[in-house]
Amino acid sequence: MAAASLAAAPAAAPDRAFLTVEGLKKHFGGVKALDGVSFSLDEGEVHALVGENGAGKSTLIKILSGVFPYDAGQIVLAGEAYRPLSPHDAKDHGVQVVHQEFNLLEHLTIAENISIEQLPKNSFGLLDRKEMNRRARKALDAIGLTDVDVTAPVRSLGIAHRQLVEIARALQSKSRILILDEPTATLTERETKRLFDIVAGIKADGVTVVFVSHHLDEVFAICDRVTVFRNGKTIATDLISETTPEGVVQRMVGRKLAAEQEEHPDRHALGESALRLENLVTAANPGSTGVSLDLRYGEIVGISGLVGAGRTEILRGIFGIDPPQSGKIFRDGAEVRFKGPRDAIAAGIGFVTEDRKDEGLILGMPIAANISLANMGSVSRSGLLKLAEETRQAVASAARLTLKYGRTSDPASSLSGGNQQKVVLAKWLARNPKVLLLDEPTRGVDVGAKAEIYAILKDLAREGVALLVVSSEMPELMTLADRILVLAEHEIQGEVKRPDFSEENILKLAYGQTPGAGENDK
Amino acid sequence: MTTETLSETAAAAPKFSIRTVLHNAGIGLALLALIVFFSLFTEHFLTPNNITNILTQITINLVLAVGMTFVILIGGIDLSVGSVMAFAAVVAGKAITLPGFGPAEAIALAVVAATLTGVFCGFLNGAISAYWSLPSFIITLGMLNIARGAALQVSEAQTIYSFPFAFEEFGSAMIYGVPVVFLVALVLVFIAWFVLNFTVFGRLIYGIGNNEEAVRLAGHSVARYKIAAFTICGLTAGIAAVVYMARLNISSPIAGIGFELNAIAAVIIGGTSLSGGRGSVIGTLLGAFIIGVLANGLILIGLSDFMRQMITGVVIIVAVILDYYRAKYAAK
Amino acid sequence: MKLLKIAVAAATGLALLGGTALADDKPVVGLIMKSLANEFFQNMMVGAEEHQKRRGDYELKAVGMQNETDFESQINAVENFITQGVDAIVVAPADSRAMVRPLKKAMEAGIVVVNFDVALDEEAKKQQGVELAFVGPDNRGGAKLAGDALGKKLGEGGNVVIIEGNPGADNATQRRLGFEDSVAEYKLDLLDSRTAHWETEEANQVFATMLTAHPDIQGVMAANDSMAIGVVKALESAGRTDIEVVGFDNIPAVGPMIEDGRMLATVDQFGTDMAANAIDMALDVVSTGEQLQGWVKTPIELVTAK
Ligand SMILES: Nc1ncnc2c1ncn2[C@@H]1O[C@H](COP(=O)(O)OP(=O)(O)OP(=O)(O)O)[C@@H](O)[C@H]1O
Ligand SMILES: [Mg+2]
Repeated sequence: MAAASLAAAPAAAPDRAFLTVEGLKKHFGGVKALDGVSFSLDEGEVHALVGENGAGKSTLIKILSGVFPYDAGQIVLAGEAYRPLSPHDAKDHGVQVVHQEFNLLEHLTIAENISIEQLPKNSFGLLDRKEMNRRARKALDAIGLTDVDVTAPVRSLGIAHRQLVEIARALQSKSRILILDEPTATLTERETKRLFDIVAGIKADGVTVVFVSHHLDEVFAICDRVTVFRNGKTIATDLISETTPEGVVQRMVGRKLAAEQEEHPDRHALGESALRLENLVTAANPGSTGVSLDLRYGEIVGISGLVGAGRTEILRGIFGIDPPQSGKIFRDGAEVRFKGPRDAIAAGIGFVTEDRKDEGLILGMPIAANISLANMGSVSRSGLLKLAEETRQAVASAARLTLKYGRTSDPASSLSGGNQQKVVLAKWLARNPKVLLLDEPTRGVDVGAKAEIYAILKDLAREGVALLVVSSEMPELMTLADRILVLAEHEIQGEVKRPDFSEENILKLAYGQTPGAGENDK
Repeated sequence: MTTETLSETAAAAPKFSIRTVLHNAGIGLALLALIVFFSLFTEHFLTPNNITNILTQITINLVLAVGMTFVILIGGIDLSVGSVMAFAAVVAGKAITLPGFGPAEAIALAVVAATLTGVFCGFLNGAISAYWSLPSFIITLGMLNIARGAALQVSEAQTIYSFPFAFEEFGSAMIYGVPVVFLVALVLVFIAWFVLNFTVFGRLIYGIGNNEEAVRLAGHSVARYKIAAFTICGLTAGIAAVVYMARLNISSPIAGIGFELNAIAAVIIGGTSLSGGRGSVIGTLLGAFIIGVLANGLILIGLSDFMRQMITGVVIIVAVILDYYRAKYAAK
Repeated sequence: MKLLKIAVAAATGLALLGGTALADDKPVVGLIMKSLANEFFQNMMVGAEEHQKRRGDYELKAVGMQNETDFESQINAVENFITQGVDAIVVAPADSRAMVRPLKKAMEAGIVVVNFDVALDEEAKKQQGVELAFVGPDNRGGAKLAGDALGKKLGEGGNVVIIEGNPGADNATQRRLGFEDSVAEYKLDLLDSRTAHWETEEANQVFATMLTAHPDIQGVMAANDSMAIGVVKALESAGRTDIEVVGFDNIPAVGPMIEDGRMLATVDQFGTDMAANAIDMALDVVSTGEQLQGWVKTPIELVTAK
């Protein structure tokens, strides 16, 4: 792919390293996001960056891609000092990035988003729509999104599809270095595998790929080397062939992690039915028989399925975002009709949404304000805010979820991706819901924090809260859930009980009747 | 990068406002520069009389801009405030000149009539744009015409005059050289500041401007807050009408043409983002001062009307550019 | 030119014949006003409607504008009247140049056109080869009446300022020129001259600041009464009773101010009758075929305390 531009580049150093980073530092006010980062990239390798949430991975990537400048240190690209002035400049140097948080223009079409950097023109100098759509089609086909209409607006897409569109956009221009910041966090098995095939392909073309993920199995599946970040510093770079996942985790956290809590040691008794769906059909989830399920107090039910199967839509239907077209919802055995999220919340339901940027967080507002957003009653008296109480609660929630942050008055946008996710969780935990709907609750969260979140969710179940969890990560569902419902084509294909949990059993149901799921995951 | 401890308690409130203060410093400096400039280059600028003048002159714009701040913070705009002010003034003018009332009753009646008219128009603006999720730009543009037409209809295009003497007294009253009407505006600024920073309502106004969907999914009725913001804006238009009447002792159906643009300018110069979610009413206060000082100072300096208009335009643009750099710098 | 006039007269006759299709055989007069939001024109309109009821021998179709500068809707109105085949168009032009062309079209269609309130621009008329009389007050002369009253009161060397109307509006320009004539004649000292766009609140602000810059002001000439009210209020706030104010239009609201001396004088151009008078003249032309000539001046009068 980038062979031509590579040939033109000056000869690389003998050790093949053509990007080296030395002692890189970046401060945000008092926060040392990067505090001495050194590593190098070889031509044509797949290089993993791993580290806990807030360790500095995305910051490094943003510096490499010209989003912001660095304070100290140096970067050498292909033998020349490299200090990208803007994302555009970085692209001219052959550095392409898929950022952790999306950068799509919601109201434009998929095709327009894909071509936005270089819109095709016809001989009159006008926008050549045909060519634009053709390019977009090609780009989407390449990553296997054959069933998505390129003229649809991006806002109609679920986050998994948005992620894929971002990847497609980055892939269509030639690059020397392709950086993928947590591209798999929203993807299911199928898409992840396709992405890995693509990575293998461009690697063969000599492109260097930087890959960030909290899933070490993925790192070990496709990467050649791994660099570990801790507290803004690089700890070490290892050859994948010479290390183990345990070794990497140990470097990440600076200590040995206790073996993951095994299973439910204390199986507790389940309560009454907390939430029951009877043939629920919404506009976004138009299965013929609708969705039926019964969630009991103290129970954790997982929902699995491929992207586009309609998982998020079930939760949105319950929460009153998409109005039901037919079917019934029962809360505590009594039928309910929610006119909007307000009613659902009043009925003791909480909803941790998957799209933190658009639905979960108010990025420009303080962390504390985000945590209290769904729970204003507890931080106010007759409409007046009790700011001290709000801060106290925020600090407590932050500690519970090991949030890495400066002050609770800092805007949520100053947090790393994984830490933003924790704030979304904190917001709903603060409300003490009786029924908690969770959509990709640990998206972008690191291994250690994930275990803590699992413990919290299990504790909630033990206290009698009913939890309905949608996740693309099968290990996550298998750790958490008492049973897993598998969805395809907007209908529940079957249920897997805890003793039968295995990826194979779930996938069988997920793929069962469905050669390729349609629709979008929103 | 250390995890915070409980010692941080209560830090949030002052922090948040220190940020706003810093934020406003940029605009405050611009204002200070203007003041220094005019003091140096004109004879009368810093005289007590002229200061009184400036305070009187910015009052109506400030009152309108306070309400406008709420609307712009939720990401809306209200183009109707000038017309609504005229409509409210005319209705109140009709009320105050009704025969058979003592001065005190007539004045009370007028104040109630003006504020209710403003509230009614604002409520309609908010309710229509929220219920059908229509852009407030176009709805309030409609209201701009409706209210102006209504003002002309009610007044039959005649200037209404001869109000009770006490009303006029209030309009020209001073406390230590500070016009009472300006103090009224200042009280409104304070109330708005308090509401925006220390109440759930204010918090959600900012929230809606930043990310409406997140606020809705957190269980708040976004429509209700939007309607409230527009209603507040209508209320301030009603209050501005009272100030107008008290100061000039007439109600004119053609009052307030173009006032919406001055109010919007004060808000934006004050650092509130036109796309909503960011800004403060303290900034609006400073923005109104910049516009007022400029209008006053450029006359004192003896600039022609046309030059004055051009320079006002230039200063608006420069102020917003400065704010862009300040915001960019603050983001680092 | 004579020829043209005859042609027009003939065409008028034809139009009259054509007009018989219209109701009652009564001649139809299209009245085109300026902004009815302006109380001066509003009153004029009411006057015209009453006039129509009184005379009862013609049909009135009246059109107003959105605002002072909206001459486009006036052009549209002229075109509509041509299509409707009215007998006469009586027009107060919003723009003395832009209106010449469409009115020429109307005349070519045989419609009697009477121009009142603001005169069409002479240059433009010449260019288009249009000859058209003007019926209206002398704004410049009126302003000079008010200015002279002030000049007499202050005497030579008195310090005055002018508050102008909308820059670019013809009547605003005429009134400013009239004031300047008085300034020259009485050797007054013109300290400053600024627009307040005909508006009370703006006049109040602008004048308050002018007063700060020139505390020695002795007299103010405001181009309309709405602005004069704003000036009077500013004087009251400043506690100045030694400054004389003159206005223009004689709106009801300034009545008490003239009475109690807060204003020295204003000018009445009998706006209520102005449109009605113009309609009378138009109807005369329609019936006699005798064209108006030159400038038919309508009465103006200085109003002072009795
Ligand atoms: N704009 C900013 N302002 C202030 N602090 C910031 C900003 N951006 C990042 N930080 C801080 O810098 C540190 C590193 O963040 P970064 O996003 O690089 O982490 P990360 O390794 O990508 O984490 P994650 O796995 O959660 O995505 C964090 O402590 C974060 O709070
Ligand atoms: Mg990150």
